[in-house]
Amino acid sequence: MRSNRTPSFRGYVLGCLSILIVVSVSDDGLSEAYGSSVVKRRQQGILTGMPFMANIMPRTFVDDAGRKLYIAKPPTRVVSLAPSITEMLFALGLDEQIVGVTELCNYPSAALSKPKIGYARPNIETLVALRPDMIVAPQEFLRADILAKLEELRIPVFLVEAKTIGDILMQIQSLGKIFNKVKMSDAITGTMRDRMARVTKRVATSKEKRVLYVLNSHPLITVGPGSYIHHMIGLAGGINVARSSESPYPSLSLETVLQEDPEVLIFPVGSVESIPKSEQDEWNRWKSLSAVRNRQLLEVSSDALNRPGPRVVEGLDLLARAIHPEAYLSDEAHPSP
Amino acid sequence: MLPFDLADDEVFRKSTVGTGRWITIIAVLSASAVLSAIVCLQFGARFVGVHDMLRLLFLAPGESGDAAGDLDTVTTILLYVRLPRVVLGFLVGGCLATVGVAVQALLRNPLADPYVLGVSSGAALGVSVAVLFGVGSTILPVVVLPLCGFAGSLVALLVIYQIAASDGRLPIYSVLLAGVILNAVLSALIMFITSIMDPNRSFGMMIWLMGSLTAPAIPTLLVFSLYVLVCLGFLLKQARVLNIVAFGDEQARSLGIDTERTKRHIFLVSALMTGAVVSVSGMVGFIGMVVPHVVRLIVGADHRLVMPAAALVGGTFLMVADTFARTVLLPSELPVGIMTALVGGPFFVSLLIRRKDRML
Repeated sequence: MRSNRTPSFRGYVLGCLSILIVVSVSDDGLSEAYGSSVVKRRQQGILTGMPFMANIMPRTFVDDAGRKLYIAKPPTRVVSLAPSITEMLFALGLDEQIVGVTELCNYPSAALSKPKIGYARPNIETLVALRPDMIVAPQEFLRADILAKLEELRIPVFLVEAKTIGDILMQIQSLGKIFNKVKMSDAITGTMRDRMARVTKRVATSKEKRVLYVLNSHPLITVGPGSYIHHMIGLAGGINVARSSESPYPSLSLETVLQEDPEVLIFPVGSVESIPKSEQDEWNRWKSLSAVRNRQLLEVSSDALNRPGPRVVEGLDLLARAIHPEAYLSDEAHPSP
Repeated sequence: MLPFDLADDEVFRKSTVGTGRWITIIAVLSASAVLSAIVCLQFGARFVGVHDMLRLLFLAPGESGDAAGDLDTVTTILLYVRLPRVVLGFLVGGCLATVGVAVQALLRNPLADPYVLGVSSGAALGVSVAVLFGVGSTILPVVVLPLCGFAGSLVALLVIYQIAASDGRLPIYSVLLAGVILNAVLSALIMFITSIMDPNRSFGMMIWLMGSLTAPAIPTLLVFSLYVLVCLGFLLKQARVLNIVAFGDEQARSLGIDTERTKRHIFLVSALMTGAVVSVSGMVGFIGMVVPHVVRLIVGADHRLVMPAAALVGGTFLMVADTFARTVLLPSELPVGIMTALVGGPFFVSLLIRRKDRML
């Protein structure tokens, strides 16, 4: 846990001084080994836990883990450690700057030809061999030891974690600032916001339905508060039956499911993560469920939904269509973009 | 009346359990198992009292004052989710404890159980391979997964034999050493499989590996019960042989018992049971090792009493532990393997402290 110290005036002055000192310190040989890119991780000191400083110092960024990164110039060699991040970087038009992606990154097609790194447990030597001047990684998968090593090598690591769709928009904005692609990121997030607004407006008049989102059946694992998919179910006019659980990916009690009686069961299906038909059919055992009685066992594309990237709004659209088909009946002729 | 005559062994005059004592202990344990089951059935996502249970059993849906839909849900929860799970918990716990008793007697080592020997890891590997290739979800999971588990545990056993056997005999220390090594290798393989699965699946796999029960479909439960009860029956019949083997191979041979052949049979059935148990509940540790000790501390060392008592105690214990596992964090569940260790460890230690004079 980060300490959240209240900034005092003295701390503030000291902080400004320390930034001046750190910024004026010249590079050592290490970053010269990385060519001319002037990229430094500021030493964390008095300023730890004072994100407001990021607004005062340009080119200083705060990631989702609350770590502060000082990035002098837009990075020219960036490595992505998750499919969602790869999609964000490509959406920002950074095709040339991306020098490495994970083996699960299959969208857009240009990602397939990039050098590959392991997804959950990246090999640090492969990573360093790509000579990145920035790494963007999901917070939940990057181990502390790898992070420490990368900090020692002065490779800035920007950690992202999405608890809501808003977080995803923020991440795209931050990356836009880091890479000097603010126009681009504004355009992307604007489009995403419009589309979200269209979806929420559509389902506004429909009565909310109780939803169970199945990530795994034996044991039952679903999404709970603190996961962006839980947030999306709410936006799409659904009530998550796991809403009172404590963790973002709870192992939910089957008795709770039967008692909450979901009206819709959602199974993510796609290229990387998929719930097979046979497993879906097993749910038909529970005849007391409204979802089973009304045949509301539905598939939604996991490629769009399970990736907290720019395509997440498509996922939201699909989710809303699954939960509230009646809200989409009027325009079956011309589906939304 | 009893599956064996209690006064037929020369060797066991000293430790012979009287028929009366046998019946008393087993009756007390059975009664407490039934009472625990009734208590466990009450707890869950919704508390259902005994009175309501009886009412639900004798009422067709829609006959009572409740809304029919609500009654439907409670009945479904009780009969199709809670009851199968309580029964499964009892069977799994009973199997683990009985197999623990058998293996400990065979190897004459209080540390032995299917987990230590790597037999459970073998079963888990078999099941995870099946899950990885999607076998379990396409063809009859009821039959296929236990078979994969059995195949895995059998391979593990064969490997142990290959490593440890000399002149067709199984020296105890080599067996344990082989088990430890095998365990390490198999765990690594299981970890490898979980690491190449897709992330959502591997998370489920991890939770299953920690040992977690789910509510089985009724046909699944029936197949599993039949299979397991036959194996249990066989092990219980071996109690007298185990008594002799526990005294040592020399002793047994002088009594004209083909110990190696018996050992092989008992090992085989233990592997069969372990494979089936792991395929439905993952790796629930602790019970196979500790319940036999606890039972021996209470009832003595005669396997004709220890075996059935261990089955009842192990079953009751896992049933209760699983009830905690599925209710403590409602609406979420915990893997029961965590509960067995948390509940059982301190209990075992306290028992040891109080019974130091009769240790092991």
